[in-house]
Amino acid sequence: MGRSHDAIVIGAGHNGLIAATFLAKAGLKTLVLERSDRVGGCAWLSHTASIDPGVIRALDLARHGLEIVRPDVSACAPDVDGRPPLMLWRDPARAAQSIRAFSSKDADQYPKFLASFARISGVLRALSSAAPPSVDEPSRADLFEALKAGRRFRALGRADAYRLLRWMPMAVADLAGEWFESEPLRAAVAAGGILGSFLGPWSAGSAAVLLLLGATEADPIATGWFAKGGAAALVDALAAAARAAGVQIRTSADVAQVAVAGGGATGVVLTGGEEIQARAIVSSADPKRTFGLVDPIHLAPEFVRRVQNIRGHGTLAAVTYTVSAPPRFTSLAALDPREQAAALASRVRLGRNIDAIERAFDAAKYGSFSDEPWVELTAFDSTVAAYVQYAPYHLRGTTWEMERERLAKVTTQVIARYAPGFEASVLGHQVTTPLDLEGSYGLTGGHIFHGDLALDQLFVTRPLLGFARYGTPVRNLYICGSGTHPGTGLNGLSGTLAAREIVRAMKR
Amino acid sequence: MKYDAVVIGGGHNGLTAAAYLARAGRKTLVLERRHVLGGAAVTEEVFPGFRFSVCSYVVSLLRPEIIRDLDLPRHGLEILPLDGTFTPMPNGDYLWRVNDHAKTRREIARHSRLDAEAYDEYGKAMVEMARFVKPILNMTPPDPMSLDPRELMKLLFMGRRFRALNDVDRYNQVQLMTMSAVDFLDQWFETDVLKATMSASGIIGTFLGVRSPGTAYVLLHHYMGEIDGAFRSWGFARGGTGAISDAIASAAREAGVEIRVRSPVARIRVKDGHTTGVVLANGDEIAADLVLSSVDPNLTFLKFIDAKELPGEFLDEVRRYKFRGSSGKVNLALDALPAFRCLPGDGPHLRGALSISPSVDYLERAYDQAKYGEFSRRPYIDMVIPTLTDPSVAPPGKHILSCFVQYAPYKLASGTWDDEREAFGDTVIDTIAEYAPNIRDIILHRQVLTPLDLEREFGLTEGNIFQGELTLEQLFFARPVPGWAQYNTPVRNLWMCGSATHPGGGIMGAPGRNAALRILGHRS
Repeated sequence: MGRSHDAIVIGAGHNGLIAATFLAKAGLKTLVLERSDRVGGCAWLSHTASIDPGVIRALDLARHGLEIVRPDVSACAPDVDGRPPLMLWRDPARAAQSIRAFSSKDADQYPKFLASFARISGVLRALSSAAPPSVDEPSRADLFEALKAGRRFRALGRADAYRLLRWMPMAVADLAGEWFESEPLRAAVAAGGILGSFLGPWSAGSAAVLLLLGATEADPIATGWFAKGGAAALVDALAAAARAAGVQIRTSADVAQVAVAGGGATGVVLTGGEEIQARAIVSSADPKRTFGLVDPIHLAPEFVRRVQNIRGHGTLAAVTYTVSAPPRFTSLAALDPREQAAALASRVRLGRNIDAIERAFDAAKYGSFSDEPWVELTAFDSTVAAYVQYAPYHLRGTTWEMERERLAKVTTQVIARYAPGFEASVLGHQVTTPLDLEGSYGLTGGHIFHGDLALDQLFVTRPLLGFARYGTPVRNLYICGSGTHPGTGLNGLSGTLAAREIVRAMKR
Repeated sequence: MKYDAVVIGGGHNGLTAAAYLARAGRKTLVLERRHVLGGAAVTEEVFPGFRFSVCSYVVSLLRPEIIRDLDLPRHGLEILPLDGTFTPMPNGDYLWRVNDHAKTRREIARHSRLDAEAYDEYGKAMVEMARFVKPILNMTPPDPMSLDPRELMKLLFMGRRFRALNDVDRYNQVQLMTMSAVDFLDQWFETDVLKATMSASGIIGTFLGVRSPGTAYVLLHHYMGEIDGAFRSWGFARGGTGAISDAIASAAREAGVEIRVRSPVARIRVKDGHTTGVVLANGDEIAADLVLSSVDPNLTFLKFIDAKELPGEFLDEVRRYKFRGSSGKVNLALDALPAFRCLPGDGPHLRGALSISPSVDYLERAYDQAKYGEFSRRPYIDMVIPTLTDPSVAPPGKHILSCFVQYAPYKLASGTWDDEREAFGDTVIDTIAEYAPNIRDIILHRQVLTPLDLEREFGLTEGNIFQGELTLEQLFFARPVPGWAQYNTPVRNLWMCGSATHPGGGIMGAPGRNAALRILGHRS
């Protein structure tokens, strides 16, 4: 069989599609192989996305149908006992007005917090828009990028520069506590630091998650936007852009093995036995899955050990409800209908205080989930999509098959506590456990970020020190998924930066 | 009379700084609030005949440079080895690691053959890492925002050293600086009790759990002593921990330092942005060109100095500095030795550290309770019986059991420490009794120190034994406050030299030495 492709991309998630599109635009004949019967990967799971504006422009996603919606309310935290909700409007002045009901000091602080966060995000975005430098042989381009980042860092001024350095290793509860005194606001802010991570708000390093997830939109609360038409619209736009660039996409094509000869990847073998050859193999799967496709005789045992040690214990589950009527939150009853609708379309965060979220995390540490999990939901027409944490991938003494319905039950109970009568409105529900995330989406350990966003797994150490520039120990095998730098949520930068490095390497 | 330098606080760091200044010819005075020297490194006869190392009870990190420079052995310092760590388990088994490597290997192999092999490899890796970290302890931290080329050189120096490491060491180093102790150890070992006992060292004095990121780094400290070659890992000072302070004080006096006890400072005098001396609680004024504070930033900047003398931003940062005391101390005078159910008799296992850390979950649950403002109902306890190594600290035939207890949060969700003190003491005894049931029958006296007592008695704000939490965001260039990590302060001629400065707490002496050298203009 001849070499019919320049590049094969494994996985048609957002990073895979974006990498493929850029490769095709660079003139490489590119084939995407997707295991499941639809493209999009985890984009289907997420309520929101934050595809980098540069990528949106470069791929002309607007022309391919992507329309970005930024809801008027970024997050809403209803109360259980009829007190007014905390409404974090996109307009900081309006948000401050809502915060004033809880604390006037916090209301004054909030715009300052947003401004400081936005300035710091600039530095993090700069770091996210280039491949991490080589530690051993920094190239001229690396030094240039380092200089650029260094200048941005200095331009922050002392207060923000020290904040950035101090915040990264901190607990998000401490970060929220440094700025604010009212618990609902603290909890609403801290929630951004725990999403998808095996960290509680009191865990050191959770502030880094907040900073990284908020960097693209320069906002700690509105960490992404909604696509008009939902996930399907985003996925369609990404696929259309890929096809327009000449990418060939095959679904239901499950890669069983990456073929390696003479230390270099030569192609892939599908589960049916079909072999496809290409000059470059680009995996958008997570590192553990990717290197699981390579016969270990081609990898050093130490490398295999380090890959196995990448931490990625999934904690996020999702419950999607079909409802006969939108949930009626007691706390929202006093709002006018337009405001109510805006609140429901935002991130509705059901965590009364930081300690309540932390207690939910405590249960996960010992291999179970809490009766009062942390829930973030968004309600559309007849759907209520809820994220539930903490649902640990590893349960002790039981299985997810046994516990699936109990998770739905406790989630429903939590929502009903804030919105009485919610149970009665539920027509049906679907539970996605971390095990399902692994089974259906190929996420090892059910981890939505392909590995924790922890200080030891970022930048030059994502996925591993010495392999942060999208290459692997196997020549011509590359990685481009969320497990690589910057790898934070649905921003598409991993795929973009990987494509850039691969094109450069292939032209050499 | 005017002094060149006045040092506030006669703890080991204050005394060390004073000794170095005096040796350089500076006329130096040390002011100690209490009747004894030593701060938290102190020996006191709390009950007749029983001389407790009241707070700090073992030593491992005292910088060998200080021992050498101040010739401490000549001033009476003698370190006696503390042999190993004994961890009793609830199932009747135990884990007993000793300094004899081959013996420890055999013991670990009893629990897991794989772990025994990994233990060797782990030890070697840690020694390499400790070698890498060591120079950083003696360094004035660079200021990342400074444009001074010397500061940039320091950063470059650290970068170069990192690049000079081999692949494996680099990988380990990154992990050690950021991971949780348990996550780090999970990669090496499978035996739960082994991981628990090792990781416990990572939480001492902090308000973090063994699974909290940032706790792995402290694992290194256990290997620091080994490369210093001065003594292996942990030890006792003959005569109790206070003997270390006494030796440093003796060296300081010999160098010409004047030391006054029972001399509490009330205020630091500041005029036109620089200090001119201190005012004592009795109203005496002492003029000095330099003032060094070895007490924590809370006392130094919020109590001793008028707020109007300090920039508002700086004060905000000081107020933000986290103390969060998390530990207490229970000192017991015993009539006989405790008998452990899993290994009865008074064998050599009692001569080392006795660790109540039976499992990782046990430690983590102890932390969980503290997070919500309760003391752990089953705490982590690190105990030693110094009388087995140094009988001089108790009457003949009697013993001392010194128990470091965690977690005891300074801020209780309900009740006060004055009400809870005895309940806390009972919890400690109950916990020990689960492993050594005779404990209740052999106690002659008990002294319970809560975080509140540590604050009142020893001037440690919120009872934090390290003068502020040792978390990543409060280390190195950010200790105690970003931009003020070079022992200097916004008040000219006022310096900091205590555990609240780099490299932090423990009986290390490095903050005192580094500060003195910085003041004397040595480049580091």
